[in-house]
Amino acid sequence: MKRNLWVARIVIFLTLAFLIGPFLIIIAAALSAGSSLAFPPQGFSLRWVIAVFEVKSFRASFGLSMFLAVFGTVASLILGVPAAYAVTRYRIPFGEAVRMAVAAPIIVPGIIVGLALLRYLVIPVGMTVTLALFLAHTALVLPYSVRVVSASLENLRPDIEEAAVLLGCSRFGAFARAVLPNIRGGILAAFILGFVTSFNQVPVSLFLSGPGVRTLPIDMLAYIEMTYDPSVAALSALLAFLSIAIVFAAERFLGLSRYV
Amino acid sequence: MLTNKTEALALVLPAAVFAVAVFLIPVCILLSEAFRSDGSWSIAAYVEFFSKPLNQTVFFRTLKLGFLVTAVSAIVGYVAAFCIVGLDPTSRGRIFGLVVLPLMISPVARTYAWIVILGRTGIVNKALTGLGLTDAPVRILFTETAVFIGLLQLFMPLMIISLVSAMENLPRDAISAARVLGASWPQVFIRIILPLTREGLVIGGTLVFTGSLTAYITPAILGGAKVLMLETLLYQRVTVANDFLSASVIAMILIVMSFSTYMLLKRVAASKRGAQP
Amino acid sequence: MSDDYVVLERLKLAYGETVAVHDLDLAITRGELLALLGPSGCGKTTTMRAIAGLLAPAAGRIFIDGADVTYTPPSKRNVGLVFQSYALFPHLSVFENVAFGLRIKREPKPSIDARSRAALATVGLEGFARRNPAELSGGQQQRLALARSLVMEPKLLLLDEPLSNLDARLRLEMRTELQRLQLETGVTMVFVTHDQSEALALADRIVVMKDGIAVQTGTPEEIYNRPRDVFVADFVGFDNILYFRNGMLTSDFGSTDTGEELPGSDALAWRPAEVILGSGPMQGRVIGASFAGQYREYVLDTGLGKIKAQAPADAPPHTIGGLVAFELPLAKAHRLPGTGK
Ligand SMILES: Nc1ncnc2c1ncn2[C@@H]1O[C@H](COP(=O)(O)OP(=O)(O)OP(=O)(O)O)[C@@H](O)[C@H]1O
Ligand SMILES: [Mg+2]
Repeated sequence: MKRNLWVARIVIFLTLAFLIGPFLIIIAAALSAGSSLAFPPQGFSLRWVIAVFEVKSFRASFGLSMFLAVFGTVASLILGVPAAYAVTRYRIPFGEAVRMAVAAPIIVPGIIVGLALLRYLVIPVGMTVTLALFLAHTALVLPYSVRVVSASLENLRPDIEEAAVLLGCSRFGAFARAVLPNIRGGILAAFILGFVTSFNQVPVSLFLSGPGVRTLPIDMLAYIEMTYDPSVAALSALLAFLSIAIVFAAERFLGLSRYV
Repeated sequence: MLTNKTEALALVLPAAVFAVAVFLIPVCILLSEAFRSDGSWSIAAYVEFFSKPLNQTVFFRTLKLGFLVTAVSAIVGYVAAFCIVGLDPTSRGRIFGLVVLPLMISPVARTYAWIVILGRTGIVNKALTGLGLTDAPVRILFTETAVFIGLLQLFMPLMIISLVSAMENLPRDAISAARVLGASWPQVFIRIILPLTREGLVIGGTLVFTGSLTAYITPAILGGAKVLMLETLLYQRVTVANDFLSASVIAMILIVMSFSTYMLLKRVAASKRGAQP
Repeated sequence: MSDDYVVLERLKLAYGETVAVHDLDLAITRGELLALLGPSGCGKTTTMRAIAGLLAPAAGRIFIDGADVTYTPPSKRNVGLVFQSYALFPHLSVFENVAFGLRIKREPKPSIDARSRAALATVGLEGFARRNPAELSGGQQQRLALARSLVMEPKLLLLDEPLSNLDARLRLEMRTELQRLQLETGVTMVFVTHDQSEALALADRIVVMKDGIAVQTGTPEEIYNRPRDVFVADFVGFDNILYFRNGMLTSDFGSTDTGEELPGSDALAWRPAEVILGSGPMQGRVIGASFAGQYREYVLDTGLGKIKAQAPADAPPHTIGGLVAFELPLAKAHRLPGTGK
């Protein structure tokens, strides 16, 4: 038994080393003082971490990615919460078809969505790339919003709304006063999941870039092709810490894992 | 259940219309493009696409990598999940968190790390030359091996998560009962664990398989122009040659493959539910 | 020594840091039916798992049929175990559950078929062969678990509360079946229960456990009539336990002078039937009364705390709230040596 325990520990350690180890290496490489990407790092300095903030295009693309992640997710929630409510509380005609339509962006590879939008909205109609990106990211996040919010609605007894209506609320009032406060956690979880998904998204945004309009991951990809300095490593490390901080805070204060 | 249809429709319609307009219609037009040549319907674009050796290579490579990554992550996943489930609840939660963690990190960042490890002056090559195993650095980056490793790291957490939750739901003492009835560990795996975690395996397998098939970042960074996969090929056809016909064909292939795995998943999930009322 | 089929030697069993069983010494005779009796959480299941090889001991050794099996894997021990949780395989039919072990042993097909059917018939489940275990009632599932072990014809059969979910009639049937099996095949059986009457009725010997320690081992008569301490006495129906000190009967609640002198300072115990009701030096208020067929059982609130007493059903009933005289006859008291406070 003791021996089995050790075998288990070694297996787990190796698996985690494979999954997370490269990450630790990237952090070390980011703190290198040398001018090319290497491990073990040549000396220690924060020079590349600082350099990240000085790359102008990173600043712009970070802003765009933030904008898309925040507003795309909010838009998807504005569309998704009512849909989730309808799917869980009503018997809808063509319910399965509606569900499929809303879930489709998960199944269809993002690169195709991006290309389709480029070809049929941006080029012929003259829609701005930013707007197309916003629409694409909203569509991408929509299935997650519907799913997570549905899950938390399903855990909520439907009779509390009936009670609210009997106590004099309108249908909408009952939703706002009895349901919404109870699914706040689910909505926040959906927001965080959507934010992370959108922020890290590459394929959808691949074709949707114009002069000066690029999401951060796309910008990083382009930068990797051009140079071999540790600034992308530093940026990667910074982004990782950002995601980890968000998820950790969410888990800590909300128990995110209950909803996903 | 409420049955007020107008109310229900009013609630779902915005989302449904949005999904159809922004998503379904453009994608369908794109897919239909390959079937239309000079105003009439034909499959000429498909025939032409598959007649080119490069396209064939890329197609089969994508399938091969998809299967390989799924198979290896299933094997590793089972071993890891079995070990994780055996831990006490607190450390199980912690390890589980560490497995999930990478999923929250930008895949570009995750993949980029492999350059430092597999590159010409990377850790692996330094170790190899340092140990005197090779004189000149070995080429690992921009090979199928590199893409395989990158995909495995990217998608294995999904498999482990599915398998861990499947194993946590194994009925209490079922493994012990089989052991007492004389089953060896391999027999326990084949006769008890595998059939009872089939659903988790299929879910994890679908996620890993479709993820690998439709991967862009990993082949782009670790494969480059040498090791194209379907998505990188699509990108290249469009940006380099403005070849929207090929793009449409590849899009169709990708959708058909992901959709059929998705349907398979749904069927397995449904049959499982049907079997145990 | 050759008659001991199973020997546990200073067995210590632990889950991580929590020790569930301490230094258990136990010899189980060949062909014997031994009962492990004790309250929930005392380590009965843990002991069974160790004998079956599912839990490696933290210390000590286990011998089966003279061989040291401490490190033998469960699949090589040829021990049958009926799990408290049944542990049926949900993906296999009732029949396949029973056939599982035989298939692992690669028995010839016709033999698997015949033996599985026979085992199902033994437990009265012949009509259910093609169902799913989930489609059986709790009691049927329990019998299926029993059949799955019986079909292997193990030399040692461990039963973890095998009858807990059966109704009174089925329970009696299964008891008879187990006794028949023991007589016909000479199988050694260990079964766990926290029902003292079941242990007394069925077992050749009883081990009473408490907090991972075997408190007393003996025949049913010994356990029933000569409990070694307050714990065992309480477990086998001595509901009234008091302490005798300096001529006073004392409890946590108070004391009474008996005017008699007994040496030592032992605990004294009475079953409800031994309490004399209706006359005597002490008085109590009736706070509970229940009819139990042959007799009525009363709970009295007295200066010594609660006292349980019995009176024949045809005696005039005492009303709740009324005062009743009673006596705890010293002559009938069971002395529990060495445990006085
Ligand atoms: N897997 C486990 N991990 C940690 N502690 C355990 C585990 N299983 C049992 N224990 C502890 O070991 C002790 C003995 O448990 P055991 O299951 O042997 O009790 P039991 O006598 O069979 O009780 P019951 O009559 O309720 O079945 C208990 O205190 C229990 O909490
Ligand atoms: Mg138990």
